[in-house]
Amino acid sequence: MIVKDAVCPFCGCLCDDIEVEVEDDRVVAVTNACELGTTKFMGEKRLKNPILRYGDEWKDITYDTAIRYAADMLLSAERPLLYGWSGTHGEAQCVGVHMAELVRGVIDNTSSVCHGPSILAIQEVGHPGCTLGVVKNRADLVIYWGSNPIDAHPRHLSRYTRYAEGFFLENAFRDRKVIVVDVRKTETANIADEFVRIKPGGDYAVLSALRAIVQGKTDTIPRTVAGVTREQLVRVANLCKSAKFGAVYFGLGLTMTPGKYKNIRNAIELVSELSRHTKFTISAMRGHYNVYGSNEVNTWMTGYPFGIDFSRGIAFYNPGETTAVDILARKECDAALIVGSDPAAHFPRKCLEHLADIPVVQLDPYPNATTAFCNVQIPVAVTGIDAEGTAYRMDGVPIRTRRVLSTDYLSDREVLSRMYALMQEAQER
Amino acid sequence: MTFLMITGRTVNQGVTVENKTSAEYAAETSTCFMHEFDMLELGLADGDSVRVTGACGEVVMRASASVEVEAGTVFVPYGPYANHIVAAGTHSTGMPDFKSHEVEIEPTDEEPKTVHELMEDLGGLAYDR
Repeated sequence: MIVKDAVCPFCGCLCDDIEVEVEDDRVVAVTNACELGTTKFMGEKRLKNPILRYGDEWKDITYDTAIRYAADMLLSAERPLLYGWSGTHGEAQCVGVHMAELVRGVIDNTSSVCHGPSILAIQEVGHPGCTLGVVKNRADLVIYWGSNPIDAHPRHLSRYTRYAEGFFLENAFRDRKVIVVDVRKTETANIADEFVRIKPGGDYAVLSALRAIVQGKTDTIPRTVAGVTREQLVRVANLCKSAKFGAVYFGLGLTMTPGKYKNIRNAIELVSELSRHTKFTISAMRGHYNVYGSNEVNTWMTGYPFGIDFSRGIAFYNPGETTAVDILARKECDAALIVGSDPAAHFPRKCLEHLADIPVVQLDPYPNATTAFCNVQIPVAVTGIDAEGTAYRMDGVPIRTRRVLSTDYLSDREVLSRMYALMQEAQER
Repeated sequence: MTFLMITGRTVNQGVTVENKTSAEYAAETSTCFMHEFDMLELGLADGDSVRVTGACGEVVMRASASVEVEAGTVFVPYGPYANHIVAAGTHSTGMPDFKSHEVEIEPTDEEPKTVHELMEDLGGLAYDR
């Protein structure tokens, strides 16, 4: 059987033109997906059943036992952390927020270690963004700043920018210019019309210099700014001003470097400045599948996009205090529920040292680095492969993901709903 | 020698990210991409082991020459090896300095640990069924 127009569950591009060939409830071939998506669809090393750490051994347990363990763990904790959420669907994220409120815990998603700083900047100065389709059809200038789509979002270039056709562009490949700004000469830099190499940590200064040039204050710019010559800065500013429609896509090269959210704020203000001359937009290259959805769901349910603390009985948000890395590093939480992410692979070691000291339950289809710190791991269906649900693309467009094969695994929503029902029962008693 | 360590996504890291117990994931995320002049100065050949020491500890990786990185910087794919030495401070933003970490790098005869060994060093219990 061939399933057409399946939605890829790997990165924030959510490519929706994937063809998946299924035989005997196994994916045997994938067409149109990039290497990352193909590997995800073909992944077979799933955990077979829930497991419990018993001293220095792992024991197989039933779903009922595992779900009861997780519910009891959250109910008996004083300050539980519910973290992850970007690898799952919106319906499961909703249940997660309800659970966090019920136990007065902290719920945070992986955006706190990816585009959380971007959201902080957007809260300060707004987000002049647009959908990917607008960029594909209209943009004659695309800037990738601190992002390397060839490695991280491989089809972004072919579906929307460098290699894409554009409705309002006569010859998109010739007429659309691509600028890459990075500290490394990445593969993406190699296919750019203009590569701007910045010294590490110099993004803020270069953005400020470009803003000054766009404002007509070129005379104030020194000979080089963070390793970039004034001549190149003027050339880039002129390319931007002469474009009919420009689009900036920025990556973690801005959010993880010194300045963090202030870098993004400066980039948004550059776009605002450019919009006095022409049309310009800016958007984040959201990485992990439905991480955008976790921000959307959290925002419409609590008012805040990540790092939400219910310990006061109301939603409280203070990044740096209520975010997962900080809470773990301060050894503050006394239990953790991890869903759709792998903090043991992606958090600093100090956080893992605390994970080793507290009860941890993880919902994940695969054994991963966090498995080592779990008391219980519950395997679930993969959203977009054997579970369906809603995910948000990197430009904020919600897409209903499809199920391409049937398995006996429960979905995240089913497991979390059963957990939540047990917690509600216990509260009512 | 002192370097600035930058971490980030690579295709190979992304391809193996759902199979973190594999040798391929360990090999990719324990690779320290360096400028060839820096490797020359440290007497390193491709695949040699290096001890990378950060503010929070040390970890052994394998050096690999790359034309992408500038002298004085190294690039390590996202994963448990780089994070073994990344500090947890977030400057009140929630975000650690994943792309701006000062590290010391020196040659070593030790082999990089497996992901399981790294997790067990921090109090975890490997699951490898």
